[in-house]
Amino acid sequence: MMLLEHDAKELLSRLGLPIPRGILVTGAAQALAVPVPCVVKAQVPVGGRGLAGGISIARSAAERDAALHNILGMAIKGHTVNAVRIEQPVEFIAETYISFSVDAGAANIRVLMSAEGGVDIEDEARRAQLFSAAADPDLDSVCATVRDLASRLPAEIRAAVAGAGQALAQAFFHYEAVLLEINPLFICADGNWVVGDAKFVADDNAFERRADVRGQVEARPTLYPQMALKLNQGYDFVRLDPLGDIGLVTTGAGLSMQLVDELVKRGHSPFDFCDIRTGEFRGRPDRLIQVLRWIAEGPRIRAVLVNFFAGLTDLGEIAGLLLQALQAVPEIRVPVTARLIGNNLDEAVRVVGRAGNPIAIETDLERAIDMAIASMAAIAVEPGR
Amino acid sequence: MSAFVTPDVPVLVHGITGRIGRRHTRNMLEYGTNIVAGVAAREDRVEGVPVFRSTAEAVRATGARAAVAIVPALSVLETIIDSIDAGLQLIVTVAEGVPVHDALRARQALRHSATRWIGASTPGLVFPGKSKLGFLPSVSIAPGDLGVMAKSGTLSYEVCHRLVRAGLGQSLWIGVGGDAVKGTRFADMLPYFATDPATRALVVLGEIGGNEEEELATALQATSFAKPVYALIAGSAAREGVTMGHAGALIHGNTGTVASKSAALQAAGAEVFTRIDDLVRAVAAGAGAFRPSQNPPVAA
Repeated sequence: MMLLEHDAKELLSRLGLPIPRGILVTGAAQALAVPVPCVVKAQVPVGGRGLAGGISIARSAAERDAALHNILGMAIKGHTVNAVRIEQPVEFIAETYISFSVDAGAANIRVLMSAEGGVDIEDEARRAQLFSAAADPDLDSVCATVRDLASRLPAEIRAAVAGAGQALAQAFFHYEAVLLEINPLFICADGNWVVGDAKFVADDNAFERRADVRGQVEARPTLYPQMALKLNQGYDFVRLDPLGDIGLVTTGAGLSMQLVDELVKRGHSPFDFCDIRTGEFRGRPDRLIQVLRWIAEGPRIRAVLVNFFAGLTDLGEIAGLLLQALQAVPEIRVPVTARLIGNNLDEAVRVVGRAGNPIAIETDLERAIDMAIASMAAIAVEPGR
Repeated sequence: MSAFVTPDVPVLVHGITGRIGRRHTRNMLEYGTNIVAGVAAREDRVEGVPVFRSTAEAVRATGARAAVAIVPALSVLETIIDSIDAGLQLIVTVAEGVPVHDALRARQALRHSATRWIGASTPGLVFPGKSKLGFLPSVSIAPGDLGVMAKSGTLSYEVCHRLVRAGLGQSLWIGVGGDAVKGTRFADMLPYFATDPATRALVVLGEIGGNEEEELATALQATSFAKPVYALIAGSAAREGVTMGHAGALIHGNTGTVASKSAALQAAGAEVFTRIDDLVRAVAAGAGAFRPSQNPPVAA
């Protein structure tokens, strides 16, 4: 998962790496005391913030407040800006670039370096001109590679970039990062360096033993809603379209993602992506209840589609839990179609039949999709909802 | 790395005494897998299989050549290193959530060994009708002509289930897992499928993120792979910066998109789809050409 720049910088600072002084701001009132000039930076987990107008330099208090007003609430690549980092500008003689990334295919660490950083480094032609080398995935190898690449830089910045690179490599391994990109890495007249921007992709699979990174994410559940949910509940639920017309209660990441594609290709807009993990229910309807509650919040939901391809899970038990959950969430007033296949399907059909068939059960996914879509016709969207 | 295992390979199970370990062991035995040993801290026998305290001991006593690890994610690295040290030919690790830096260390350790790692985060592999190393669901398995490789377990259950209903079974079905750093990538399996006489066509179930599909396309071209290739790429509706379940399924900038993967695979001669039904229809239509004529597809 990509950390917000603010959190990336805090984590780097904690290891002694120099960052510009700054604060995280979620409302305009918090910014009143911040001295100018300052830089106002949107905090969203995507690149290209500058080009999207999410970064602004303010020379006066009026400019600062205007920047805040403009940036807070704007959308960048579909992500609403709910927080900004306001920081002091840095005086520099060079804006350089350095990054460390896991090369999944080669299973090593790719180090990229350039005397000139900047926004256009996202450009592929520009990327090809960076100094680049692969290193074995250990600190000594990566530091040796950093020194080697830095030796090709202009003399006046060489030592600073080599120093910064080795400190960053240490941070990369310490935090078990998947990507750590510093662009720009400011080089100052006195030979010091400062982390200008930081793109930090953390590995949530390592959170169990990386309390420092995990804590940074857990401290801001509203800014990392998806990860907060996963850490709290142990499963995935992503709101894809708040105005979506179909709610999905599904298990299995790949098949759930494919089901979203299938519905979009049929002209519908799924409210959510969900990997509820039926294998971890342990006889309790809690996850189903929570997911149905979230779906019920969608103002334009006209159908719910359940898809459980159960390898070993007992579908009879699952059907019982689904009925309990629907009873617990009466706000779901739209038709529910359940595609169930696997172990003990007959019992699932019996259980749902005894309850008066409040759910339409189908074993074929294409037919279940058709049924869910057809069931929408009977549901008018209530005006004003 | 040595040749791929055969269906009769003697298998040991790491973590055989756990609740899930027992269940998977029972199911694999019922399927016909040649399970010869278990490794765990306690007990002497599970489902009739002798249990040893260490991998090395189990290999010495039983001649096991492959392993299925049903151990927690944070124990996977240690289990892989044990398996390398014991000289195993293959290790399948099913756990989800292996840290990326552990997977990097595992790949380092494997580099100078004769061991192949499949996983992490995989339901395993099956030689249909013969043996299963993992827990792929029976409703989706049938002997046939298709070599199947998939990143996602559940997506492959669905696709294989529909192919089987259309009379199209598998020669070997292998889950490579949804993680970014993994033991065996799509391209690594090409030499096996190219030379395996039972495999007459390849079905590849990919998804957004990483460059494994692009890498496969390069390998298809470089080796002049002669069998038909059908690919499905999941995630066409995903947007940048949003993870949908799999650690590897994340779009950054212009890389890892459905468009880049489809273009690369099509240039390598593959037929690429974004809907399951389209893929199943195309494989069924192509089967007339790639399979022997005495064995026509059965109606659903």
